[in-house]
Amino acid sequence: MSETRLVITGLGLVLPCGDGLDAARASLAAERACFADLPEALGMGRGAACTAFAPAGIIPPMQLRRLDRLSRFAWVAAHRAFEDAGLDTRSSGERVAVCVGTMSGGSEASEAFMRPYLQRGPEGASPMVFPNTVANAASGHLALAFGLKGPSATFVDRENAAFTALEQAARWLHSGQVEAALVLGADGLFPLLLDLCRGTRMLDRHGLPEAGSGRGFLPGEGAQAFLLERASDAAARGARPRATLWGLASRSAAEPSVEARSRALMAAVAALGGATPEHRVGGASGLPRLDVPEAALAAQHPHWPRAVHPKLLWGEFAGSGGQLLAAALLRQGGRTLVTAPASSGAQFAALLEAASLETP
Amino acid sequence: MTGRRVVVTGLGVVSSLAPDREGTWAAMLAGRDGLGPLTRLDLPLEPAQMAGQVPLDARRHQTLCERMALLALVEALDGFHPGGDPGRLGVFQGAGTSGLPVAEAYLTERLAGRRGRAAEAAYQSPCTVTDALARRLGAEGPRSTVMNACSSSLLALGQAYERLAAGELDLAVAGGAESLCRTTYAGFSCLKAVDPKKCRPFSRDRAGLNLGEGAVQVLLEPLDLARARGATIFAEVLGYGASMDAHHPTAPHPEGEGAARALTMALRLGGLDPASVDLVSAHGTATPANDGAECLAIRRALGTAADSVSVTSTKSQFGHTLGAAGAFGAAAAILALRDQVVSPTLRLEDPDPACDLDCTARVARERQIRAALVNAFAFGGNNVSLALRRWEGR
Repeated sequence: MSETRLVITGLGLVLPCGDGLDAARASLAAERACFADLPEALGMGRGAACTAFAPAGIIPPMQLRRLDRLSRFAWVAAHRAFEDAGLDTRSSGERVAVCVGTMSGGSEASEAFMRPYLQRGPEGASPMVFPNTVANAASGHLALAFGLKGPSATFVDRENAAFTALEQAARWLHSGQVEAALVLGADGLFPLLLDLCRGTRMLDRHGLPEAGSGRGFLPGEGAQAFLLERASDAAARGARPRATLWGLASRSAAEPSVEARSRALMAAVAALGGATPEHRVGGASGLPRLDVPEAALAAQHPHWPRAVHPKLLWGEFAGSGGQLLAAALLRQGGRTLVTAPASSGAQFAALLEAASLETP
Repeated sequence: MTGRRVVVTGLGVVSSLAPDREGTWAAMLAGRDGLGPLTRLDLPLEPAQMAGQVPLDARRHQTLCERMALLALVEALDGFHPGGDPGRLGVFQGAGTSGLPVAEAYLTERLAGRRGRAAEAAYQSPCTVTDALARRLGAEGPRSTVMNACSSSLLALGQAYERLAAGELDLAVAGGAESLCRTTYAGFSCLKAVDPKKCRPFSRDRAGLNLGEGAVQVLLEPLDLARARGATIFAEVLGYGASMDAHHPTAPHPEGEGAARALTMALRLGGLDPASVDLVSAHGTATPANDGAECLAIRRALGTAADSVSVTSTKSQFGHTLGAAGAFGAAAAILALRDQVVSPTLRLEDPDPACDLDCTARVARERQIRAALVNAFAFGGNNVSLALRRWEGR
């Protein structure tokens, strides 16, 4: 990719720790986990649910009815990101891309569609629900809500889908196809997901995931929206960058062993250059296949700062990597290295520098 | 986008017409379709019982999507074993339903009060296919799985192109695989979008789509590397365009506004003069809403050049293969550019006046094809167009 500098000018968060950036910052600073017994409607067991989520005043009631949980999160996060960036897309929608990363996109609706169909046959099938069964339903809703007409892509690369989305958005910006890109990580909890995870014994049964414990992860939900622009465009419209994206790199493992993934993660980090970061955000979740690459990386760089691992606070798939990027943006100044191991697809590393919070 | 020239050096097809590329292409040109009675799914209460089925089944620990995708990859590679830096080999896939049949089976078991195979369902996510292809290829470079519904695999081809053109990769595999499942069958049926008879794209009496399955994998390389290894070159990829309608969650813009922008962008980024486009491999679903809007979009993008362009729809042969549909459309265009013949739109007896283009009714047509555009549109108002050019040896 070319060397055009990209900045994040808007940030919008829907997280289980509560509404707003301050709640997220406090949760992160105190490393306070948000896990609790889930409401029955979301599934059985413990997880990090966005129980305080309040879309009223942002999503019109008529639309709210038609949206799945993930799309509601995405809408509110996008609204906040555009507001934060001071960008009105109504006049410039053709020049704004949408890139979404999600592990669960469409799945909640698929369950909601299939459950009555399997029980009652065709008369149980709802034409209202079916359109939400596609993973890219959220991007379609966002296009309608904000008048976005640029290119769009929804990625489903498990834990790192939001990083793939960020990579594509950066590419469209570098090539000059768009002037801004809305990047989102978004996931919602639903009963079948919990059931599946429990059935595969991937969930921590102690109620609190711990990196390196080998006990498993706990699920979470939420959405993180980032408005990405070329630095020159942001400056031209007087926007204040929240952060600069200094680098983004990925490497995949040809075979699925944890050793190969560790090597791939290290290669992705090495591609960003050798500088020591001032902060670290890691992708450990309590699942060995993610924790081992993180531990290997830390062992290779003992002088690096200790990493904070947002998945241990806000859950796994709670934005499919978007929660890691959000954590990096909530830091005050200095360069943050984000490392994102994944059980599938590419292993990612990103280098971000958040502006000081006091910057007007 | 300017940069390295990118060419197609391999193409693998597993379809309801044949398990390979040349068998499929020969059947298409002969005017045959792969549509027949639905037997893969037991849905006796559904009024439509027509589908394009591939005579293969899933295996234990291998979905049908993965199986078909791997078969298509083997054909695309045609014995080639990529060497060099594995970090410069990329895999880009578009997915639709992917592991959904496994999840459906699990949900069925759970509703019946049984345990079900959770592990099977949990590990069959859409990117499982991408990972399997990467393993087969030994690829350690970029990898992505895009789910833009019915435009997924065409966008994946675009992604592969832009990374190769930027000089970041030495080889990429892009495409898609789709298998029939109950969610999509029941879903399109409840939207009244499924034709109980064989679908009729661009026809006045078109009444909806048929669903289909299959896989297409495309091998893409920079021209200089393809030439250096003496690879067979099928066609050149020039660029792609993508847009959103921001109009309706499922229906296309009635005047094809967003689709026209994707087409125009593909022309512009591909450096193509509309007058040099001789073929549009259309989305052509045979739904009342799509075909007329698509023809309007083609007119808006090509202007007067639309009067001489040939349009064709692979949906008439395979049904709608959803996540793989764009790759099927691309395969038809690539082979048309190679052989200078347009595959027909079957059962087009009575063209809709709203589809006032040459839609290649019923029989294949030999003609000069210098460049082609491929369309794929999707739920959420997603539009993708890919620009291809005939390879003439220079």
